[in-house]
Amino acid sequence: MATIVSNNSHYKDELKRKNSKPLLWIALVSIVMFFGGMTSAVIVSQGGGSFIPIPMPIGFTISTYIIIVSSFVFHFGLIAIKKENYGLAKISVVLTLILGLSFVFTQYMGWVTLHDNGFYLTGKESTQESSFLYLITGLHIAHLIGGLISLIVVLVKTVKKRYNSDDSVGYQVSLTYWHFLGGLWVYLFFFLRYSIA
Amino acid sequence: MSTHHTKDFLFTYIFSTDHKMISKQFLITGFLMGFVGLIMSTLFRLQLGWPGESFEVVELLMGSWQEDGVMAPDKYLSLVTMHGTIMVFFLLTAGLSGTFSNLLIPLQIGARDMASGFMNMLSYWFFFISSVIMLCSLFVEGGAASAGWTIYPPLSALPQAIPGSGAGMTLWLIAMSIFIVSSLIGSLNYIVTVLNMRTKGMSMTRLPLTIWAFFLTAILGVLSFPVLLSAALLLTFDRSFGTSFFLSDIYIGGQVLDHTGGSPILFEHLFWFLGHPEVYIVLLPALGITSEVISTMTRKPIFGYRAMIGSMMAISFLSFIVWGHHMFLTGMNPFLGSVFTFTTLLIAIPSAVKVFNYLTTLWKGNIKFTPATLFSIGLVSTFITGGVTGLVLGNSALDINVHDTYFVIGHFHIVMGLSAIFGMFAGVYHWFPKLFGRMINNKLGSLHFWITIVSSYGVFFPMHFLGLAGVPRRYYTFSEFPMFENMVDINELISVFAIAAMIGQLVFFFNFVYSAFRGPKAPMNPWKSNTLEWTTPVEHFHGNWYGDIPTVHRWPYDYSKVDANGEFVYGEDFIPQTTPLGDNEKDGGEH
Repeated sequence: MATIVSNNSHYKDELKRKNSKPLLWIALVSIVMFFGGMTSAVIVSQGGGSFIPIPMPIGFTISTYIIIVSSFVFHFGLIAIKKENYGLAKISVVLTLILGLSFVFTQYMGWVTLHDNGFYLTGKESTQESSFLYLITGLHIAHLIGGLISLIVVLVKTVKKRYNSDDSVGYQVSLTYWHFLGGLWVYLFFFLRYSIA
Repeated sequence: MSTHHTKDFLFTYIFSTDHKMISKQFLITGFLMGFVGLIMSTLFRLQLGWPGESFEVVELLMGSWQEDGVMAPDKYLSLVTMHGTIMVFFLLTAGLSGTFSNLLIPLQIGARDMASGFMNMLSYWFFFISSVIMLCSLFVEGGAASAGWTIYPPLSALPQAIPGSGAGMTLWLIAMSIFIVSSLIGSLNYIVTVLNMRTKGMSMTRLPLTIWAFFLTAILGVLSFPVLLSAALLLTFDRSFGTSFFLSDIYIGGQVLDHTGGSPILFEHLFWFLGHPEVYIVLLPALGITSEVISTMTRKPIFGYRAMIGSMMAISFLSFIVWGHHMFLTGMNPFLGSVFTFTTLLIAIPSAVKVFNYLTTLWKGNIKFTPATLFSIGLVSTFITGGVTGLVLGNSALDINVHDTYFVIGHFHIVMGLSAIFGMFAGVYHWFPKLFGRMINNKLGSLHFWITIVSSYGVFFPMHFLGLAGVPRRYYTFSEFPMFENMVDINELISVFAIAAMIGQLVFFFNFVYSAFRGPKAPMNPWKSNTLEWTTPVEHFHGNWYGDIPTVHRWPYDYSKVDANGEFVYGEDFIPQTTPLGDNEKDGGEH
């Protein structure tokens, strides 16, 4: 069986340039539906009546500021890439990575606060609301880990100067996903703040 | 693009990124899974037709799953559950959509491959792994999942509930989660390929209706499967980590469980938000295939091309706002029930448009009765007969009377099961030359069709009467209920037809395998069809067209086009999409 596409690097590069962003956008739609399912589940379960409000931990509030700032920082890197200022781009990606890890840390601090206040993920003393709070924030973190991995890839490629003013698709894909994670968190934060907390 | 290169076996046949090979992988895996599901249904029909009787074949196939040649009750439930799961998801979702979306999207839109060949390969291998895990779940302690294919809690949420709630259920959830990932990856690829990779001239209104169907199916998958994933995740937490999303105040074996505050109804909402679009994920590809086959085989343009697209869009949209009709008996507010009744009955309108267009395309057509044509007409038949009973079940006032009875089984097997499998068979017969480069035997194909349609109506039509008499679904036996004694003969008859249906499929399997290796070599365009896939060489190679990809100049349904003198415009009764429009000639898709 012969081939005229598999080993053709020009064809592959062209495909990547053309399809990476649309593939990401459709994937984001499915992630929206996943979290839509989760947050709808919260609303449906609250239709039952009894529910105990949970004070929103300060860690979650701090992480909201962190992820918003990180989006701007990462975006500055793209502007730097377009100007082929690799030094600034590297700083931008490294800072975003640090902010991303800080987000994870402040989320963890939020869970510690919840636990200390007697709200548990599972077990006899857990409530539906507390379980939802841990699970939804945890699932966001799971998606964010994907974002952190993509940041590391972007960092390596930035260091190797693989992006330039004409071709920065990989950077843009990672950036779009990062912006999405930020937007998703802001939605989840306010949703949880006003439905559970 | 001229680096011809022979690849080794592993990357040609196993880890191929060529959409045509992946299509064949989906087809064969789907059919193998379907065969398992078929055997399961035959086994439990033996129990329902002749309850308590001993059968050597049951002993042979079921081993310790039977006692003294009789199927154990909990194993009956496992068989019913696994039959439903395998048929709905593994055969009719991945098997159907995976096969034909992969085969036809690049070929009919004029692309060398999918947007991402790697993701395409990944999609198949996730499907394969999930199939293996699902089959392995048959052999674990306690048996396979047995809470029904809808896996409602608490049976699915408490490992100690019934034997099938243990390891079998855990594996079911793992397999389905992997399946969902496979489906999502596949759907992403299909959508982007259709939007981004069409050849020059292939506007959206020149797309064959197959592509529209696969495109909308993929959109449904992307929007609905993630919600099932969220339900599966919450269920896993309830099962394994002690949360109470779907569980509340349960006593089991005299023991009070810790769960409190949850509701199994929440699961139903999440499940059916996928579950109803899933009906159309299964059905739309079959409808698209039917449009293509009917138009080609009647040598007529499809009637109402744009109306067909519009009705598929309407069906897709409506499928998201009807899930409550599966839940009329959950204590739903009657007003909300009436809303769901209204939205459900609305689906009858686009469905009727499609049926009308199929019939008007067939009307006075120069019909060539190939097996593909027969199965397509069979689909039109089942879409009508199964759809009519949908009007009963979609109406809350009527549904309440027959809810969870055999009426429901009869309805959805005809409208969804038969229609989808008929569409799949139509597709396999029609595109067999493209898949395997050989022709399939038409006589055996026609025999397969007639056995299948007679026996499957024989199975599912009488079920409506059982349901109207109140016979409930999922019962192991009806011999203990005096009120159902007069139903014994009907059950026996249904089982006889089920066995006949299974034998009919053996004809197909023989024909399929024999023709794939020994059938006569296929010509390039055996059906004198207009679409682009028939412009590719019979021999498969990665890239589809040796030279440039052809440019498209017209819609795909210019059949029997005559001039003012009644002569065929280009001397033939078909005009390929690659033929430029003549002076003053209008494109059929544009108006």
